[in-house]
Amino acid sequence: MRRDYADASDAALVVSIGRYQQAALAEAYRRHAGAVFGLAKRLLNDHARAEEIVQEVFVRLWNDPNRYDPERGTLRSFLLAHTHGRSVDMIRAESSRRNREEKEARQQADAGYDLAHEVWDMALAGHVREALGALQPGEREAIELAYFGGLTYQEAAEQLGEPEGTVKSRIRSGLKRLRNELVNAGITVGPE
Amino acid sequence: MAGSMDGDEMDDGTNGTMDGNRDPYDLDELLGAYALDAVDAHDRRRVEDYLEINPRAAEEVQQHREVATMLAFTGMDAPDGVWDRISDEIGEQAPPPGPELAKVMSLDEGRDERDRRRRGVSSVVPWIVSAAAAAVVAVVAIAVVDRDDAPSDPIAAAVEAARSDRDSVTTTLVSDASDAAAEAIIDQDGHGYVVARDLPTLSDDQTYQLWGVVDDQVISLGIFGPNPEIETFTVESEVSALAITIEQFPGVVSDGNPVGAFVGSF
Repeated sequence: MRRDYADASDAALVVSIGRYQQAALAEAYRRHAGAVFGLAKRLLNDHARAEEIVQEVFVRLWNDPNRYDPERGTLRSFLLAHTHGRSVDMIRAESSRRNREEKEARQQADAGYDLAHEVWDMALAGHVREALGALQPGEREAIELAYFGGLTYQEAAEQLGEPEGTVKSRIRSGLKRLRNELVNAGITVGPE
Repeated sequence: MAGSMDGDEMDDGTNGTMDGNRDPYDLDELLGAYALDAVDAHDRRRVEDYLEINPRAAEEVQQHREVATMLAFTGMDAPDGVWDRISDEIGEQAPPPGPELAKVMSLDEGRDERDRRRRGVSSVVPWIVSAAAAAVVAVVAIAVVDRDDAPSDPIAAAVEAARSDRDSVTTTLVSDASDAAAEAIIDQDGHGYVVARDLPTLSDDQTYQLWGVVDDQVISLGIFGPNPEIETFTVESEVSALAITIEQFPGVVSDGNPVGAFVGSF
């Protein structure tokens, strides 16, 4: 039986998905598929494979909704974490990985790849830009290569010519600083 | 890649090359990279073992992922056609059998969850318990599942298996306001089934909601929708009574509506 889930919370949607309500999955898709696709495409730089990731992520939610715990985070965060993990797996499984790393990571670095520019269009772009601006350059670079480049922190360290421990620490400190900046700007990060 | 000994002041030199007895400081330093999938398999295993025993670290990882979520959003729409493929794929799949049943999830959200639940428990327990006691006396017949469609329905087959297992417990949920009844079965592993196809169909803005009394507390065990058939739930502790209430869609966090409720005890 079809019903309107437009006003249902994400947690309620997942409960309904667990009860095989396809309309609930459709609503979750309407809310989050764009973000899933955007992240996958950015990581993979491949439209078709990004579509595959979108399909896989939502079919997995349908088949195994109990993996999502609403008390631990938002549904979007849960879906994007899976998206990122699968995309990175795909990247790392490539036989041409070495070539890709050398070519694309260098291109990103040479092009002055700019997170602030990339998130310009998001609804909270201004606050996120400010938060990013509060990071040390080394923190931004480390997060950029790790999250959007799909590199391990060791690989990012090699790309940046920095010690591994430094990059590892910069990723962590940068994420903490971003969170603080966003919270201070009044942006809710994570579940209410 | 891993294992270069660069002598950096923040690196303890255990980048996957030693015996794995990392100290908590080193594992804490890895949490950001782990949250961004920026660790190799070796480090991932070690961090995941650490997260199992350290809730604070697990919370930090989740916080990092929420931050990454903010960065990841691009405002893009998913391409046309993807939903159709998803719909086709899930449409071809049968519901998973018993061991993969959906976990019971609380509808509670927000900071006042525990307070709300406490209020709900205090007000709901008495009527369920008292109604369950009455139901034991009132029940004279047990609903029988229509088995005609069982061979092609894995959930119906799971119900049959649970019903025939001597370690399962069963009850019949009845109401003062209806001649209809529902049968509930919980197997020894806590997989529960409610055969509710005889319950009256509700309007679209209503839903049946299942509640259980566990350790003298009432918890929500599932939302069945307005036209339930065979529904599933899971429990982790012994349940002394069940109730199915009629609520406004999509269900309520607590204070289940006792009017017309179907109640049964074990």
